Amino acid sequence: MELEQEKHVVADTVLIVDDDEINRGILDNIFGDDYKIEEAENGEEGLAKVLQLQDKLCAILLDVMMPKMNGFEVVRKLNEHNLLDRIPVFMITAEPDAAMKEAYHLGVMDVISKPVIPYIVLRRVNSVVELFRARRSLENRVEQQQNQLLLNAQKIIDLNQGMIETLSTAIEFRNGESGEHVRRIHDITKFIMKNTEFGKGLSDEDIDNIALASIMHDVGKIAIPDAILNKTARLEPEEYEIMKTHTIQGAALLERIPQLHENGAYQYAHDIARHHHERWDGRGYPDGLKGDEISPWAQVVSIADVYDALSCKRVYKDAFPREKVNEMIRTNQCGVFNPRLLECFFEVEEELSKMYRKEDKEYWTQ
Amino acid sequence: MDAVVKETLCSAGINVDSALERFMGNDNLLIKFLKKFAADENYEKLVKAVEQKDREAALAASHTLKGISGNLAMDRLFELCKTQVDLYRADKPDEADALISEITAEYGKITSVLASCGMI
Repeated sequence: MELEQEKHVVADTVLIVDDDEINRGILDNIFGDDYKIEEAENGEEGLAKVLQLQDKLCAILLDVMMPKMNGFEVVRKLNEHNLLDRIPVFMITAEPDAAMKEAYHLGVMDVISKPVIPYIVLRRVNSVVELFRARRSLENRVEQQQNQLLLNAQKIIDLNQGMIETLSTAIEFRNGESGEHVRRIHDITKFIMKNTEFGKGLSDEDIDNIALASIMHDVGKIAIPDAILNKTARLEPEEYEIMKTHTIQGAALLERIPQLHENGAYQYAHDIARHHHERWDGRGYPDGLKGDEISPWAQVVSIADVYDALSCKRVYKDAFPREKVNEMIRTNQCGVFNPRLLECFFEVEEELSKMYRKEDKEYWTQ
Repeated sequence: MDAVVKETLCSAGINVDSALERFMGNDNLLIKFLKKFAADENYEKLVKAVEQKDREAALAASHTLKGISGNLAMDRLFELCKTQVDLYRADKPDEADALISEITAEYGKITSVLASCGMI
């Protein structure tokens, strides 16, 4: 917090712009005890000093009649640079009545008559400087608090994601996986959505939510008995029917967590958990959805799930080599996929395959 | 400030107390600028401009002289210059020019007093 404050320049300098040396000397004498003083002998020089000093200035004392550029022209220029909101300008003039209307119209803070009376000019300038300082310090505090709030919000988001990952990984551990499966599903889903036509029309935020939702695709497996989940032999038909219910159970489980409903990922997670085993030809489960009845995100997660399962060793099978994996997917041996999705998938498969090569792992875990 | 000097300055129409107030009691600063006044050339510029009927130059010189005399509390000279500036601005140059004799008299009075105080 202290470091934050140090970034802001202290406004402690009064700039006196007047062509008359005596006027400058008098004002210098009045303000010199309380402020740092800078002087300019005409409007042009004054403007240059303002632009150079900017936030160091707490007030500008400006004469009206000056060579090169008069006081009004200086104020107009300051207005063009949007500086009048940040630095109060005081016009010091021998003819205040004539100058007042235009000066205030241009955004001058105050008009003070010349010859000056010290305690009056000091008081009027001091009050405004204090006001501007208070306002600036308040703005700084609000900004700091906003940053803190954003930081806290990000922490909560990170914590949410962490808990979701933990839950999903814990479930995965039950059937002997390392936890990397869900991480890879997340990465594959995100990569296909971000880098191919298949994610067209989705914002970055949508894609992040879909990727987060993909982590939860198998939460329903928590309801499947160990004997079935970890069976190495081929499942009997009735066992397979039970295994298939992990889709419905997953969606039902997510429904029962009210806090999750508020999350941007919920609708995706619910859909993906239930439909990541549907197939393009309608022969998937549990609902037998066909073609575009299956949402794009459920389609992407299903191909990611198949690709990862084939590429890795599972309790019931060994890892297949990459060529074999791709051939099996292309020839619909794991169910029929959307031809457009297959096209997109093979566009980026080369990149995805690096996830399974040791030397490229670092690239993916970034 | 030396009492005699102060009285002498006052006798020439310089309101020393008022001037000192403007300089926040800083004697040296006042004396410094009284010397500047003596060395300033705007009076000569004004006389010349009036002679040549150069109203623009006359206005500029009178305006500056007004500022200086105002700051130094030379009340009479300040009033004369102020009137003159107003007349030039009101487009009454002849009436404005006519003030030059009074301004000369006042200016002479002040400079001779400044000289007697060793400020010239």
